[in-house]
Amino acid sequence: MADMTAPVRPSSPPFATVLRAIGGIAAIGVKELRGRMRGRRAFIILTIYLLLLGGFALMVEQIMEQQFQNPFTGASATAGPAIGQAIFAAVLLLMTLQVVFLAPSSTAGAISLEREKQTLELLVTTPISSFAIVIGKLLSALVYVFLLIAASIPLMAVVFVFGGVGPEDIVRGYIVLIVTALGLGSFGILCSSLVKRTTASTAITIFGVLAITIGTVFLLVFWQAMGSFDATGNRRPGPLGIRTPYPLAWINPFLAQADVLCGTESTFGGGWCSVVQGLAPTTDNGVIINNGGGGGVGVPMPMPVPAVPEKGFAPGGAVAIDDQGNPIVNDVVAQPFGARQDTLWPKTVAMWLGISVFFILLSVQAVSPTRRWRFLRRPRRRAKSPESQAP
Amino acid sequence: MTEIVRTEGLVKRYDGTLAVAGVDPTVDTGEIFGLVGPNGAGKTTTLRILATLLAPSAGTAEIAGMSVTRNPDQVRRVIGFMPDSFGVYDDMKVWEYLDFFARCYGIAPAARRRVITDLLELVDLAPKRHEYVQTLSRGMQQRLCLAHALVHDPQVLLLDEPASGLDPRARVELRELLRELRAMGKTILISSHILPELEELCTSVAIIDRGQVLAQGRVAEIEKRLRFGAVLRVKLLLDGEALEAARERLAADDDVASAVILDDGTIELGFRGDDEATARLLKETVAAGLPVVSFSRAASDLEELFLQVTAADEPVAAA
Repeated sequence: MADMTAPVRPSSPPFATVLRAIGGIAAIGVKELRGRMRGRRAFIILTIYLLLLGGFALMVEQIMEQQFQNPFTGASATAGPAIGQAIFAAVLLLMTLQVVFLAPSSTAGAISLEREKQTLELLVTTPISSFAIVIGKLLSALVYVFLLIAASIPLMAVVFVFGGVGPEDIVRGYIVLIVTALGLGSFGILCSSLVKRTTASTAITIFGVLAITIGTVFLLVFWQAMGSFDATGNRRPGPLGIRTPYPLAWINPFLAQADVLCGTESTFGGGWCSVVQGLAPTTDNGVIINNGGGGGVGVPMPMPVPAVPEKGFAPGGAVAIDDQGNPIVNDVVAQPFGARQDTLWPKTVAMWLGISVFFILLSVQAVSPTRRWRFLRRPRRRAKSPESQAP
Repeated sequence: MTEIVRTEGLVKRYDGTLAVAGVDPTVDTGEIFGLVGPNGAGKTTTLRILATLLAPSAGTAEIAGMSVTRNPDQVRRVIGFMPDSFGVYDDMKVWEYLDFFARCYGIAPAARRRVITDLLELVDLAPKRHEYVQTLSRGMQQRLCLAHALVHDPQVLLLDEPASGLDPRARVELRELLRELRAMGKTILISSHILPELEELCTSVAIIDRGQVLAQGRVAEIEKRLRFGAVLRVKLLLDGEALEAARERLAADDDVASAVILDDGTIELGFRGDDEATARLLKETVAAGLPVVSFSRAASDLEELFLQVTAADEPVAAA
């Protein structure tokens, strides 16, 4: 057998690998965007989207104006901030709804369509890494979502005319939007890389989104409703003998936005703060038993418990208790008659960032043609020698 | 010549089914190497292992000295792969299609433009440069796919059934293109079950069936090594019972395995002997007073060889 002359190439240095990955992501991105942005279609959709969003904001403003023109229901001095907050809430939640469905549905076919069209093999036999393929597909699908988000910024800035909303509130809302798009987009691409058919992938993705948005809220309400109270007024564990799984609330982007909207309310809280504290009443050290708040979501109210006057109350008259049912006395809870703000959305952001990384890594494994589930494989044992195998 | 593709004991199992059972083809640089076999023989699986799309269950495969399992990224830079069934991207023009794959290989923008122009000229698609890919005919898409596999100037081309679904004209064009690529120094591994197509094109073949290579080498060498002999065609100026009597006389020769009278009256002999035996048979036939109009040795083709090689093969047991 003749000797082969070509030597084995040495492994590339890390920066060369990074450069190649960036090049691969750029190649995928350019190809995807050429398809998505060709012609006037994308820009017509963007224009219609902005017109609808603007019309919606205008209608909300008109509704609020009508309310404050009624001498029996409102005071004109607080009309401006209230209108600003209402427009902010309406537009932010509408955009969240849009992101929650648009981001995963635009990635749900990213890989499976390549399989269906029989183009994936052409792609994976190039030197582009599976990581670059997944990231390139994800980012190029999300670019349009991010474009819609960015295009809404001038419209959102209208709330500054009315007041009641600070720039930091808008920044928080947009952070949640962007991270939600990334997280749910990663979920879509994971489904797309695991499932062969785009129809099935899209169906699973939409089902997952509904579970994340509606399912989590329903589960929390159900768990709280099923939990009974003992003689001292403390809540007993709900179904399956476990406490309400409040971390479920962390993955719900609507609850995170409710927390952002809570930040625009007064320090005494309001409707949005009640929603957040009703469904995710966690503190850093224990669980707040809702004692009057949370009416907005119809959560059953527990029995009143003794307050801790020297340290104040949690929102809605709630008192923080630890796992043993003892009141928690610390500086965090000690906000006299104040609403706990910014408790949920940072957790949502952190959780979705982590989940995104996990989903992306799984997707990379699923796309890789020969290195699939490498980290799950057991290390190969050395072959036993014939002597050791002998009885 | 040096070996550019080397495999040793390549095995691939799918859930207990043995798709490839110890394949060892080796290909020299600059060859057009044909993988011949019926559907399900293991040709595609072998090519997909070489293309780094499948990991072998056992055995090794190297291209240009690099293992396809240990150095897939490096191997991908020296191979161009064209699968048996492939799709095209919607909403993409012909030049954009090649531009995308050139970007995937990290080719610089200036070189990219030149490569695209050259490749479109090579595959005769230059006039279609600004057409959308999905508007091209099947033959044109096939040539475009071949162009995509050439975008990084690979040393080895892996072509899985490249002529399937093509009309006769497109097949001829593809064959010419492959000869041109060979002249450019490319090594080509091509699989097909349409044997005449490979016979005209390949310098070497591997006959593969049920996951095993039954014979490998140049067609003439395989024929010689396996001593399958030849087909002799004897035309006599006889008919009826006289012709049947002549057939029986020829069939009685020790080197004649079979003797059949064809529709046109020609007697076709399955002949095991060499050239000397052929000359002896002709001499004896004439000496016997049979009126010989023509006595010729039929050219042995790949199809015949394939049938002979696979006829005696036993099925490979599943693992």
